[in-house]
Amino acid sequence: MASIACFVEKYNFTDPKEAKALDNFKLAAESLGNRFSFMFRENLMEIPKNDAIFIRATTDPLYTAYVVSKTAWELGLNVVDDPKSIQICGNKVHLYALFEKHDIPRIPTILLNKDDLHHKRILEIFRAFGRPVVVKAPYTSFSKYVEKVACETSFREVAKRFFRKSDVLVVQKFMPTAFDWRVGVLNDEVLYVCKYMVPKGRWKHGAKRKGKPSFVWGRTVSLKAENAPARLKEVALRACSVVGHGLYGVDLKEVEGDYVVVEVNDNPSIYAGQEDLRDKDIYERIIDYLTK
Amino acid sequence: MKPVAFLESSIEDFTLNINNDYRYLKTGYYVSLHAEILGNTVIPSSENIVDAYRTPILLLRAAKAGIPTLPYLVTGSVKQITYELSFPVVVFAVNPFSYDGFKTARNRSALYRAVKGLGMNYKFAVCAQPLKGEMISFKSVFGECEQQENVKKISEKVYEVFKIPICKLHIQLVDDSAYLCGLQPLKKEEMLPQDLKAVSEAILQISKFGENIVG
Repeated sequence: MASIACFVEKYNFTDPKEAKALDNFKLAAESLGNRFSFMFRENLMEIPKNDAIFIRATTDPLYTAYVVSKTAWELGLNVVDDPKSIQICGNKVHLYALFEKHDIPRIPTILLNKDDLHHKRILEIFRAFGRPVVVKAPYTSFSKYVEKVACETSFREVAKRFFRKSDVLVVQKFMPTAFDWRVGVLNDEVLYVCKYMVPKGRWKHGAKRKGKPSFVWGRTVSLKAENAPARLKEVALRACSVVGHGLYGVDLKEVEGDYVVVEVNDNPSIYAGQEDLRDKDIYERIIDYLTK
Repeated sequence: MKPVAFLESSIEDFTLNINNDYRYLKTGYYVSLHAEILGNTVIPSSENIVDAYRTPILLLRAAKAGIPTLPYLVTGSVKQITYELSFPVVVFAVNPFSYDGFKTARNRSALYRAVKGLGMNYKFAVCAQPLKGEMISFKSVFGECEQQENVKKISEKVYEVFKIPICKLHIQLVDDSAYLCGLQPLKKEEMLPQDLKAVSEAILQISKFGENIVG
């Protein structure tokens, strides 16, 4: 019997589908004979009392989740997400540099340094990728800090805003599609496959409502992993192989009959009735991986 | 070679990344990352940069390497700190924005102020340690510092473990013992001519391994 602590923050329980998924993890762990408890920020000193740590709070090398992950890792516990995966996936500059090094099929991407934000460079980017282009802050998650720009003025405005926190940014070719594929991967195997639909009139899965702080999200369409295109799964697994062997959600676009990787995410969203709809065993498989 | 020029290059060789500030997402970090992507051995590694500036990870890895540390608590709760550690305490930030120093608290209201300030209105956790003696802060250049012997040893050992060439160390002196408490980047204006000389000397030693010095 293993003792698993699931590191969460209060916001993980605000969406009933996410709360239900967390409940499903607990049920799966207990049905497999393990102890499963939720660990909040106040209980971090209990990390050593466990055999495995499962992180569901948002990860980033600068967040408490990284401290949890690295502490568990240093203590020799099984941990999802592991610190290396957080370090790579939490920074899209790191991720795209690895994709380029290992020749992973990807959206055409340029890394832009702070000192390179000038007229000539911006024109070069527009010439290479056409207009608009997508400017991404390296720490993007949940579709935030990703903006589409079509002229030099807005390019400068967005880039300057993102440069406040990071000295390097990601600029990508704009490739609109009706949906992004999401392939869930665990330990080099496909866990689930979904389509994250883009809401009508928008260009990404999650879009901010005009004048409001809230987001509008596209539907999630699930399909059985075994029925998903073989090439899609192959590209997704290749992309994960340069990151690590943990739990990932790979976003891909289907372009001219082939697939390009948008990004590999650690700590992928798992909502009851969405990612788990066609592959109900995902909870058991993740728990099994944590207790190996 | 200037950091920006290195980021544009594809030089494959041992890389020594000299910067006063290696904060995550800043140029000092990206230089080490770029060197690693090129397959180079680099000082410091991007992993050590991330870990050394996160106080709980610094203390955990330091303790594993035999560097004296004090017990610490990562939490956002004042109640928990007062329950588990007795006053006075020293508090470090564990949030994405603060790298600047620490706060000491000798009573409950000072602790509330420290946790609120360093935790950015309780949004982030803090790292609290007991304050049993005197806190000192000093520059460490390639592990070298002008301090007493037991502090010098800590400085050298921290460099051995994390390989951060230039940083500020926070150490607590309790009777005859010294304990590592925190590490932070150095401000440019804190670099004095004698520090630059120490950097040059260290570079001379290390450059035997390769040619690419970025800084």
